This record gives sequence, C-alpha cells and structure tokens, in this order.
Amino acid sequence: MEIYLFFLFGGIAVVGALAMVFNKNAVHSALFLLLTLVMIAGLYVLLNAQFIAVAQIMVYAGAIVVLILFVVMLLGAELGESIPRWLTLRNSVMVLLALVFLTVSGTAVYDWLYSTQPITGTVTDEVIARQGSVQLVGESLFTQFLLPFELASILLLVGIIGVVVLGGWRLVQHRQRGE
Amino acid sequence: MNTFMLLLPETILLVFAFALLALDLIWKPRSNTLAIIMLTGALVTLAATIFVWMQANNGVIQLAVISTDGAGAVPMLAMDRFAMFFKVYAALTVALVGLLATDYVREKIRYPGEFYALMLFAGLALMLVASSTNLVMIFLAFEFLSITSYLLTGFMRNDAFSIEAALKYFLYGAVASAVMLLGFSLIYGATGSLDLHGIATGIRSSDPSIIHVLAIPAIVLIIVGLGFKIALVPFHQWSPEAYQGAPTPVTAFLSVGPKASGFALMVRVLTVAFPAFARTANTDWVLILTGIAIITMTFGNVVAIWQKNIKRLFAYSSIAQAGYMLIGVIAIAPQFVGGVPPIEGWDQGLNGLLLFLFGYLFTNLGSFAIILAVENKTGSSSVEQFNGLVKRAPYLSIAFVIFLLSLIGIPPTAGFIGKLLVFGAAIKQQMYVLAAIGLFNSVISVYYYLGIARKMFFSPAEDTTPIPVSRSLNFVVTISMVLVLAIAIGAQPFLDWVSGSTQILATVF
Amino acid sequence: MEQIINWLANILSNASWWGLPVEPAASVIVWAVYGFILALVVAPMAMIVLTWLERKIIARIQDRIGPNRAGPFGIMQAMADAIKMLTKEDITPLGADRIPFNIGPGLAAVASILIFAVLPVAPGLIGTDLSIGIFYVVAVGAFSILGILMSGWSSNNKYALLGAFRAVSQLVSYEVPMVIALITVAVVAGSMSTLTITENQTLASGGWYIFAMPLTFLIFFLASVAEVGRSPFDLLEADSEIVAGFHVEYSGLKFGLFMISEYVHALAVAALSATLFLGGWNGPGVAQAVAASPFWGGVLGFVYYLLKMGIFIFIMMWFRGTLPRFRIDQLLDFGWKLLTPLSLVNLLVMAFIVRLFQPGNVSMGAEIPAGPLASWGGIGQTITMLVASVLLVFLTTLVVRAFARRSRARGFRAIAAIEN
Repeated sequence: MEIYLFFLFGGIAVVGALAMVFNKNAVHSALFLLLTLVMIAGLYVLLNAQFIAVAQIMVYAGAIVVLILFVVMLLGAELGESIPRWLTLRNSVMVLLALVFLTVSGTAVYDWLYSTQPITGTVTDEVIARQGSVQLVGESLFTQFLLPFELASILLLVGIIGVVVLGGWRLVQHRQRGE
Repeated sequence: MNTFMLLLPETILLVFAFALLALDLIWKPRSNTLAIIMLTGALVTLAATIFVWMQANNGVIQLAVISTDGAGAVPMLAMDRFAMFFKVYAALTVALVGLLATDYVREKIRYPGEFYALMLFAGLALMLVASSTNLVMIFLAFEFLSITSYLLTGFMRNDAFSIEAALKYFLYGAVASAVMLLGFSLIYGATGSLDLHGIATGIRSSDPSIIHVLAIPAIVLIIVGLGFKIALVPFHQWSPEAYQGAPTPVTAFLSVGPKASGFALMVRVLTVAFPAFARTANTDWVLILTGIAIITMTFGNVVAIWQKNIKRLFAYSSIAQAGYMLIGVIAIAPQFVGGVPPIEGWDQGLNGLLLFLFGYLFTNLGSFAIILAVENKTGSSSVEQFNGLVKRAPYLSIAFVIFLLSLIGIPPTAGFIGKLLVFGAAIKQQMYVLAAIGLFNSVISVYYYLGIARKMFFSPAEDTTPIPVSRSLNFVVTISMVLVLAIAIGAQPFLDWVSGSTQILATVF
Repeated sequence: MEQIINWLANILSNASWWGLPVEPAASVIVWAVYGFILALVVAPMAMIVLTWLERKIIARIQDRIGPNRAGPFGIMQAMADAIKMLTKEDITPLGADRIPFNIGPGLAAVASILIFAVLPVAPGLIGTDLSIGIFYVVAVGAFSILGILMSGWSSNNKYALLGAFRAVSQLVSYEVPMVIALITVAVVAGSMSTLTITENQTLASGGWYIFAMPLTFLIFFLASVAEVGRSPFDLLEADSEIVAGFHVEYSGLKFGLFMISEYVHALAVAALSATLFLGGWNGPGVAQAVAASPFWGGVLGFVYYLLKMGIFIFIMMWFRGTLPRFRIDQLLDFGWKLLTPLSLVNLLVMAFIVRLFQPGNVSMGAEIPAGPLASWGGIGQTITMLVASVLLVFLTTLVVRAFARRSRARGFRAIAAIEN
C-alpha cells in the first residue's frame, strides 16, 4: 500500500514540477508548484512525519504560494514573455546539462540503494509512536539544534528589519510631506 | 572555558546590534552617535575575539548542545584557531567599514540605526560562517550573511541602481543557495550525516566506486554556492552590478567580508568533509577548482581593462584576486589524499591564502576609503575623477599608489607576500601551468592598476580644488597603509599567526 | 437503537459481505466511504438549516417574522431555495480560466469540511485523533484561501479579483492572531490533540478554558469570524462595494459550493470554539452516562456539544444582525495593531502561568522540576489565569485609550488648521 502511495505522490509531484516549469501562464505555474509541494507533504506523511507535513502545507499553501499568486495577480504578470523558440543553442545546452546531472545522480542513488544497507536514523516509527512527532521535533529543536534555531530567529529579525527599511520608505516620504 | 565564554564575541555583537536598534527606536540619536556605538561594538568584539583566541588552546573545540537523554550530540560550531582567524578578520572588517561609512551614512542613508545594526549582524554572520561545522548551521549562517548583504546592497531605497543591484544579487544568490542546498541534501542522503566529520567518516566507510558518483555532483553543487559568494567566474555576474549599485561602504564590505568567509567555508568543507576526493583517478575537486581558478583570473583581469567606473573596476579586480586566492586552496589539496597524514610544508598554500586575505582586507578597504573621499567630493565614481588627484589630495594619491602596488603584488606590500606564498605553494606542488597563468595575469593587471596611478599623477584635472578628507577616512587610509606595509616588512609574526591558525586542519584525519 | 447501529456498522464494514478481500485495508476503504457519505450529506444539510436559522434570527433582530410560508416555521423555504439553486443554469464566463474556475469552489468547500475530521463531537466519536490536531485545522484552512484566490482570479472579472485580494489580505492577516491563540490553548493543555484538549477541561483539572482564558477566547473567536469572512468582517463579498466579491461570476451548484463552504466553515468555527473553550462534550453527567452505557453517554455528550455550538452560531448571527461592516484599513489595523500584539503578550503571560503551576514530571529522560505554585492545582491555575486575563484586558484598554486620544487630538488640530 505504502509503495503505491509513494509512487502516486511522487509521480504527481514530478508531473506538477514539470508542468510548473513548462507552463507559460505564471498563475498556473504557481498552482502547479503548490500541487508539487502538497504531494511532497504527502510523502512526509508516508514517512510518519505528520508535523512536518502539516507545517509544509501551512507554510506553502497558506503563505508562500498565496503570496506568489498575490504578486503575480497584482502585477498582472500572469502572461509572461512568450518563448519564441524552444530549440535554441542555450536551451539545448541547459537540457543536456540537466539530463547529465539527472543521470549521474540517478544512477548513483540507484547503485547506492542496491549496494548498501539503508542508513537508519534514530527516529524510527517506534520512537515516533512513543513520543509523538511534535514532541520529537520540539525536543531536537531545543536541544541538538538549539544554535541553528536561535540563529534562525535572528535571521528572521534581520528579515523584518529589511522589510521595514525597503518597504517603509514611501511611508516616510508621505509623513515628511504631510507634516 | 565554558560555552558562554567561547561565544563571547558573537554575543557582544548581538548585544550591540540590539542596543543600536533599541536606541535608534527610542531616542533617535544622531548618525554619528550611532556610528560611535557601532564602532565600540566592533572593537569590543575584536578584543573579545582576541581574548578567546588567546584562551583557546589549539585543540578542536566543538560546540554542541547535547540532548537531554544524552544521545546524539550534534557539533555545530568549531571554536578552533582557523575559525578564530576569520573572527578577527570579521571584527576588523566591521570596524573598518563602519569607520569609513560614517560620512557617507550621515549624508545619504535614511536609516542610520538600521544600517549600523545590519553591519553588526553581517559581522555576526561572517563569524558564524567561519566556524560552522554542520550542514544545517552552515546553510543558516550562509543565508544570514547573504540576506544581510542583499539588504545592505539595496539600502539606498530611492536609488534605482541600488535597488537593481540588490535585486540581481538576490536573484543570483537565491539560485546559488538553492543549488548549494541540493548539494547538501545529496551528501546527506549519501552519508546520513550533517556533521562535516561525520560526512568524511561516512564517505570512507562506503563503497568507493559508488560514493564517488554521488559525492562529486554534491561537491560541484556546493562549489557553485560558494563560488557565488566569492564571485568566481561562472558565478560572478552579480558582482559588477552589485558593486556599482551598492552604497560605496557596502561595496567595500562586499569585496572583503563575504569573500573571506566564502573561502573559509570552502577550505573547511573541502578539507574536512571531502579529503577523499582531493586527488582521485577520475574527477576531483582539485581539477574543478583549477579550471575555475584559471578562468576567474583571466576573465577578471581582461575585463577589468575596459572598465570606466572605479567601483566596477574594483569588482573585476576582486574577481581576479579571488582567482589568485583560489590557487592557495588548490595547492594544499594534494596533501589530503585519503588517510595519509600531511607532510611537512603542506600548509603553505593555505597560509598564503590567509595572509593574502588579510593583506587584501587592508588594501581594499584603504582603496575604498580613497574612492569614498573622491566620491563624496565629486559625486561620481567614474575613473575620470581620479585625473590629477595628486594636486587635489597628495596624501591620498600616494596611499592609493601603495594599495595599487599591493593589488598588483609588487614588494614591499602585503599583496606581494600573499602572492609569493600562494604561487610558491603551487610551484612546490608542481602545478607549473597554474603558477605561470597566475604570474601572466599579474602582468595584465599592471596595465589597469597602474593606469589609475598614471591618471592620478599625469593627467590634468578639470577641477583642482582640494578634496577634503574627513578624520575617519584619513584614519582608515593611514591604518590600512601602515598594515599593508607592515605585513610585508615584518612578515614573520603574521606568518606565525596564520600558520598557527591552519594547523588545526592537519588533524582532521 | 444502539444495537441497530452496531448491526449496520457490522454489515457495512464486513468486507466479505461485499465480496472484498478480508484485510484491514478494505475496512479502511469502507470507513472512508462512510466518511464521504457523511460529509456529502451533512455539509449541504448544515447549509440549509443554517440559512434558515440565520434568516429567522436576523428577522427577529430586525423586528420581522422571516420566512413563514413553506412548511412549519417556513423551514421548507430553505429547502426550496436549495433546490432552486441546484437546478439553475451553470454558467462559465467565456473569458474565464476554466480549470481554476471549476476547482476553486470545490477546494473552498472541501477545506471547510476537512476541519471536522479532528473535532471530537461526542465521547468516542471523532474522525481521527491527530497528535497535531489544531495545527491541522490551521493548515487545512489555508486551502480555502487558495480556493477563493483561484476563483477570484479565474473569473476574469475586476470585482471578483478585488474580492479575492481583499480575501487574501484579510485571511492572511487574521490567521496570525488565530494561530497564536491556538498556540496558547496548546500550551495550556500541553497538547495539540483536540481530544486531549477536550479531556483536559474537566472540573478537576480546572474547568473550561473560557473561564481561564477569556481573552484568548475573544481573540480566537474574532479572528475566526474574520477567517470565515462573515459580518462584520465580510469585506470579501461586500455587495454594496464589489457586487459579490470573488464569487460574482458563479451560479448554480458552484455558487452553492461557496455557500456550503461559508456555512460549514462557520459551523466549524463554532465547533472548534466549543471544543477548545467550552470543554467540548464535557458537561454534567456525561462521565457517569458513558460509564453506564457508552452509546447513551455519547448521545448526551453530543447534545451538550450541539448546544455549545448553537451558542456560538447564534453569536455569529447576532453579529451579522447588528454590526456594520469594517472598512479595509480599520480591519487590517485591528488585526495587525491590536489582535496580533495582544495575542503575543497573552501567549507569553499564559505560558508563564502554566510554568508556575506545572507539576513536576519526567519527560524524555529529563526531570522537569515542579512549578512553585503546583500545589494549588487546576482551579488555582484557572483563577490566576482569569485574573491575568482581566488585567491584560484592562492594560490594553488603557493603551488603546491613550492612542485614541492622541489620534483624536491630532484630528482636532488638523481641523483647526484648516479652519484657520
């Protein structure tokens, strides 16, 4: 059952990703991006990581893709520049490079899967059942990964400052003119 | 030393950054007051870094928070002397850039508090990048540095060039980060470890023929991310735009800060995690980096010849210099053939790299102080503005000549020592072609570097009013000049310092 | 009755009876079919009943009688409306982007229905008890934003697009205080599972959370009403300004889906409020009844649950009958400048109090020392939280008053400047 679901979710995710890249309509691209991300959330569920899956849906469906859509729609940029010709030299080189990379990493993953024992981490189904996936994530965030966690909070603060500095300039001008 | 003491420099930077933001919010002090607070912060950090460096013995101190059940401590930061070198470097960068920014900020920047706070945050990011040993931490620190850099680049919100520069920098940077993250995920999947040492162990215990196919793409992808930060040639497109568009003090910062931390990370990742792929029968990172170094040097120098804008010229110059520095990384590599302890003199290239970077810090910041002085007066950063500078500001002209000589690599300047060590290491490793190309490029660079000097001394100036130099700029120029000369003349203590900093990498096996 | 239901369940889930292979997967499928049917039946029914109720209640508020012709109390009126809606022509505008246009309403409706999966409606009756229950609710709610955005954009109509933009800015803004309020509940309950939260609201462990955290409840409820987009937060479909907002181009069944989405979402908000703050199915006599007979205990719990939901549904309709619509800037100011900071402060205060009253235990190999006031027990915690909430409300009022005075003074100055 799980393996079928894996191929279902994975397949849709890949198709969604391809459709995202090849779609000319930016809104459709964003929607396909969302499809891919939701399917990846499904893969997380199969890995018993419900918390990460729901966080993925909340962050991407609830915030990021909505924001992308919002900007695309506001700018009316959904019909971007049409691509005149597909088979340019540049495109073919890019496709070739991508294919080479895909082949290399694909064979590597394949070889590796069939040659060595899969690496098992400390987070097994049994541990998840005992502690719950939220508690596991929380615990590792506040112990092993405390430093990155704190760093991430500072990073977010810097991001907020940046938004204020870059976005607030019009406001300041208004105020100065008004008063 | 306990954990808190080890993190003292970072903590001080953070405290000062928050204090700046809070003070700016509450009392709205004048720009100069904020500058003084920021400089105090940077100097206290410098002192704290040196203090920690003196206290820390030369062992590897891995900073890790151990989980409550005692299992799975993940080292995050390495507090070794290699990291300490880059922390001193970061503190110096922040202090000097802050000093040379004071006039500019007072005149042109609308939000001085945020600007100085972001400078401090950038310093924090530089420090963290240099000491991260875990892929999660590396990525976060790297993104932290990138995001502060984008913000600083686009800080002149009303200036179209600044925004364009920030946008280009951001778009390239986002792609580069994503590519690097893909490399991280590949290597994590292959070895099951996020820790750099754990990755090396994982690679050693895997089937060599298979891990090779997975690790080399990962290494390539990681080099793309790092190459973006350092501005190596296929990934350099952002740098001329960003250098030209960014506020000039930020350009000065970009030319030294992210470059150094990119090199720090490159050395740490490649030598600690991938020593097994330094020299292999097939592809290895030495080969990749050699190719990149050759293109980078040549491209940077050749394109720099035609530049009319001094900031753009320095962008290409810094690309070329990064190419020379890369030779230092390449030259240490053959010593890292799987499992063999390094032989005597293995570290010459690396020492050369660190000394090169250290000299480059002062050379470039000094140059940018002069560019700033000219720009503040004339309002333009065109090369033409340097015509007849000797009549308008004799002291600056002489200092600029010294910096230009250092960039070319002519004794008695810091650039010479750096290049000598780096090229010497390459020759020692029998990489004669690489060294020859490097030397040939140095000859090309003479043309455009001395072209500026020629303009300053021999071209007539349209406007002969003297250029006023504020005390802070004067101080930066003087201290940079003194150190550029001091590194060359009294090289021994500096050499001892850098070789003490690199010893730690010999113990990774 | 209990026997009948058990027998029915047995037959329906007896795989061999259907000719299916006997394995757990098959019974999963059968249960999934149950769920499908339940959702398909309950959601339109809820809409029909709620529209009728709403018309009646608003009529009473406005001193009218409301629908009274079709059937007793006019109850068939809603039925007739539903049938009329279903039989209307389904129009897709020529300029519309067909695929998103058709997916949009479905997505919005499904998003609202999915919330019920984690709500424990009676003792022993819950779709699925996820350990991330309330987090799931928030994540699923995100899809309704997308449904609105998709349909607003693909209609190719400026009012629809404006409505969609309003919807997004409103829903995204109010999601923040709502999530923080939910986090506050999770912190106090020590769990995100809706079932655990319900079970923690017995009298012994401190009673319903509305007594402990009235402020949290207020923030959550207001933000949720805004999330549903009901009056006074109904800017996304403000008919006097942008005709009907994002669903202006829809007709027939697809319009019905939007109606279902809105009413089911309102129902879900009421149910969620009842679960999180009024103790869910807890009530006098439920525990004893469950001990005597699980089925009849469940029925009793369900009745309590419905009653509690009814209170919130009534309050929402009351809002609609009495409150005028916000302006968009007022709406965003209220969300970002009042609710969000207040919910953050509230979270900090509540977390601090929880720590004070936390009994010592051993969790994940680490010993957590007891809080200094742990001996006061659940009731003590409730009272402390209540006092803290009241204090917070008082302080907020002071701050808001100061701001209001200042801005009013500025307004007076501006007027005086014009007059001079």
